[in-house]
Amino acid sequence: MVVIMKGLIATIRMSAAGKLNGGVPALFAGYLLKIVYLLPMVFLWRSFAENGADLGGFTIGRLLTYTCVSAMLEAQLNVRSGAVSWHYDGQIIDLYRRPQTVFGQLATTTVGGWLPELLLFSLPMALVLPLFGVSALPETVWFFPCLALSVSLGFAVDFLFSCFIIRMQNATWLAFTLRNAVMLLLSGAVIPFDLLPWGIGGILKLLPFGSLAAAPLSVFVGMAAPVEVFPLQILWNIVLWPLAALAFQKSRERMVSYGG
Amino acid sequence: MGDKVMYEISLRRFLGLYALYARMDLDFLVRDARLSLMAIAADGLSNAASVSGVFLLSQRFGGIGGMSRWDVLFMLGYVTCVTGLYQLFFSGNNTGHISRRIGRGQVDHMLVQPLPLPVQLATEGFIPFTGCQNLLFGIGIIVWALRGAGHSVGAAFAAGTAGYLFVSLAIIIGLSYLFSSLAFKRQVAFEEIASTVVDDLTGMLSNYPLSAMPPPVQWTLITVVPAGLLGWFPACALLGQAPLGLSALYPLAVAVVIWALAALAFKKGLKYYVKYGSNRYNAGGHRR
Repeated sequence: MVVIMKGLIATIRMSAAGKLNGGVPALFAGYLLKIVYLLPMVFLWRSFAENGADLGGFTIGRLLTYTCVSAMLEAQLNVRSGAVSWHYDGQIIDLYRRPQTVFGQLATTTVGGWLPELLLFSLPMALVLPLFGVSALPETVWFFPCLALSVSLGFAVDFLFSCFIIRMQNATWLAFTLRNAVMLLLSGAVIPFDLLPWGIGGILKLLPFGSLAAAPLSVFVGMAAPVEVFPLQILWNIVLWPLAALAFQKSRERMVSYGG
Repeated sequence: MGDKVMYEISLRRFLGLYALYARMDLDFLVRDARLSLMAIAADGLSNAASVSGVFLLSQRFGGIGGMSRWDVLFMLGYVTCVTGLYQLFFSGNNTGHISRRIGRGQVDHMLVQPLPLPVQLATEGFIPFTGCQNLLFGIGIIVWALRGAGHSVGAAFAAGTAGYLFVSLAIIIGLSYLFSSLAFKRQVAFEEIASTVVDDLTGMLSNYPLSAMPPPVQWTLITVVPAGLLGWFPACALLGQAPLGLSALYPLAVAVVIWALAALAFKKGLKYYVKYGSNRYNAGGHRR
C-alpha cells in the first residue's frame, strides 16, 4: 500500500514538474488569456446591474464571484485527463507498460497537472480579488464536498469522451470540439443557469453537465443549498461511473494509438 | 523564378485549383461520410455554442448595452459569417493557421511544388463541402435578425455587408500571417500562435457587443486587439451608426495596415527559413 502511494505521489510530482517544462512565462501566457476571457463577462454583468436589470436573485457581487471562481477552478470544473488527448500522440500506450492502474495514473497525472495553476494563478487571484471588492471565499464549507463530487463526475465524463474517441477511430479533434461546445453551453461555467431565458436553466440543472460546474459554483456563492445539488451529483456519479468503467473496458480492445 | 511562374498563372488555372480542392474535399466527405458528417455537426454545434451565450443573455435582458436583441443577433450572425468564410477558404491544409505549417517544417513541401507560394496559400484551404456549415448558419441568423428587426435590405446594404465581411476576413488572415511569421525562427514555441491569436483571442472576443464596455475597452478592442472589427463595429455601422465617431471605412484602414505589416514580417521570416531551413525533424525523420 505504502509503495503504491509513493508511486502515485511521485507521479503527481512528475506531472506537476512537467507543466513547468516550457518555462513559467509560457504558463503565464495562458493565465493572461483566462483574465482576458474574464473581462468581457465582468463588464457585461456590471452593465446589466447598472441598468437595473433583474439578475435572477444574484447580486452583482455574487455574479462577479461566480465568474471569477469559474475561471480560477476551470480545470477542476471541466476535468481533462490524458484519456482524451493521449490517443493522438501515442502516450496512452505508456500507461499499460507501468506497474500502476490506468485510472490511477490518469487521475494522478491530471491532479499533478493542476498544481502549478492552482499555485500560480488560482491562489494569487483569490488573494487579489477582495481588493476589487469580489469575495473569493465560499459561503459554506459544503462547497468542498460538492467540488469533490464534481471532480469525480468530471473524470467519469472524461472517460466517456475517451471511449467516444476510440469508437470514432481517434477523432480527437471532433471529440474536443464537441466537448467544448457541450461544456460551454450546458455546464453553467460561463453563464449561471438563473440568468438564462425561457426557463432553460431549470432543465440544464438536471443534466449531468449541470452538476459539473453550475452546482459547485452556485453553492460557492450561496445561490443553491447543498441539499439541493448533492442528490443530483451523487445520482449522476452512481449512473455514469459504472457506465464509464464498462465502456472503457469494452473500448480497450479497439484502442489504437500511435504518434511521435 | 517564383515571380515568373506566378505571372503565368491564369485566372482559369487559378479557378481550376479551387475546383481541384473542392473535388478533394468532396472525396474526403464521401470516403467516410459518417465521420465527416459528425465532424461537420460538431463544428456547427461548437460555433452555435460560442455565440449562444451572448444570444441568450440578450434575449433574457432585452438587448445589451443599448443594442436591441435583434441588433445583437445581427452582430452574432455577422461574426458567424466571418468565421464561416474563414473556415470555407482557409481551413483546409491549415492555410489560415499557417504557423502550424511553418512550425512543423511543412513550408519545405510547398516550396518544391510547381506553383507560387501565394497561389498555394490562396487555394489550398478551400473546403466547400465540409466547411460551409458556419457560413450558412451565419446567413440564416442574419436573415432572422433583419426580419425580426423589420430592416429592409437593399442592394446597398447587401453590398456593404459583403464589403465588411471581406474586410473582417482580411483582418483575421492578416493577423494570422503577421503573428505566424514568428514561427519561422522559433518553430516549436510559435507553432500554435495562429490559433491563439485567431481562435482563442480575437475570435472569442469578437462575440461580445462592445457597446456594454467602457470606452477604453472599446478602443483597445478595435486597435490593439481588433476583435471589435470582426463583429461589433461592422454591425453597428451597417445598422446605422459607426461607433466612437469613427469613419465607416476605419476597418478597411486597419486591414491595410495589418496586411502591410504581415507582408513585411512574412517575407522577412521566409527569407530566414529559406536560408536556415527547419529544425523540427532529426535525421531519423522524427519530429523534435
